[in-house]
Amino acid sequence: MKKSILSLAIVIVAIITSAFSPTVGKLVSKTGHVNFFSHTAIEDITADNYKVVSTLETTTGELIYSIPMQSFEFEKSKMQQHFNSGKFLDTKQFPKSKFKGMITNLSDVNFDVDGTYKANVTGDLTIHGETKSLTENATITIASGVVTIDVVMDITLADYKIAFEKGKPSTNIAKTVKATIKTVYK
Amino acid sequence: MNKKIVKRGLIIIALGIVIGGGVFLYMFFQPHRNVQATKTDFQLEAKQIVDEYLKDAKTANNKYLQEEGNSKVIEVSGVVSEISEDFNKQKVVLLKGMGENAGVSCTFTSETNKNAAKLKIGDKVTIKGVIRSGAGYDEDMELYEDVIMEKCDVVKN
Repeated sequence: MKKSILSLAIVIVAIITSAFSPTVGKLVSKTGHVNFFSHTAIEDITADNYKVVSTLETTTGELIYSIPMQSFEFEKSKMQQHFNSGKFLDTKQFPKSKFKGMITNLSDVNFDVDGTYKANVTGDLTIHGETKSLTENATITIASGVVTIDVVMDITLADYKIAFEKGKPSTNIAKTVKATIKTVYK
Repeated sequence: MNKKIVKRGLIIIALGIVIGGGVFLYMFFQPHRNVQATKTDFQLEAKQIVDEYLKDAKTANNKYLQEEGNSKVIEVSGVVSEISEDFNKQKVVLLKGMGENAGVSCTFTSETNKNAAKLKIGDKVTIKGVIRSGAGYDEDMELYEDVIMEKCDVVKN
């Protein structure tokens, strides 16, 4: 008797989970914005990139960003050239940066209910051919079923073998820069 | 006599400072390259460049990307498969044939968006722009990324 109740319960649970499990799975974003920001007492440097591609697996929490580095645009053309050059990010050799991570508190996020959720994201960031692990806070906003993710990554340039020993770049570029990423998924 | 030499010397120094300063200011405020006014480096079909990238991305990057970011200016011909708008309110035209895995994504500018807006799905067009990155299959995202071109305009419709 007890056994049959138990098996019945298992069957019911199985039916409920299969009926309510989200069918969407992997969401893709091709509309996003990455802002690069460096602050020192001497000057603030900023650049924008609108060509980020991202995927979000809502069932596992896997979050990936792929950023074409030559799409960063600076106000001053000289700065843009330095950024791309072999002395800095060497974008001919390393045309894309990538983040591959997971949302670690996925149970706190309900992708089926509109709202704003705090998420913890941890993963590997590859820039300039160097990979380092990174943990950041993200904000997930769901509005009429559309998912938006905002995250700010603090990037220590020396971790990615981007170092300036002397001269203007060593004083005018911050040791740790901010990458602010916004992506909208459909 | 001596006074004359000093005077000449001072004029030369002053000229040096003005010219040097001018060159510095020009370099500092040098405008961005005007892609549409730049000579085209390559003319090809969308499928051609996508295939080059899918076959050997490293060789293709060496061919099309430039060290300081002023990469090759390309005229790509193909069929319009999608017209959208990015986060910066620029028109994005995807040139991609039926059944192809990846295409060429062309982002326009505030000056050229109106030309993209005139295009229709299925149009055969030639678009000029600067290449930013190549196509490829990303195993983590499980999708094909398109060739990315920016500063685009329609050259033939």
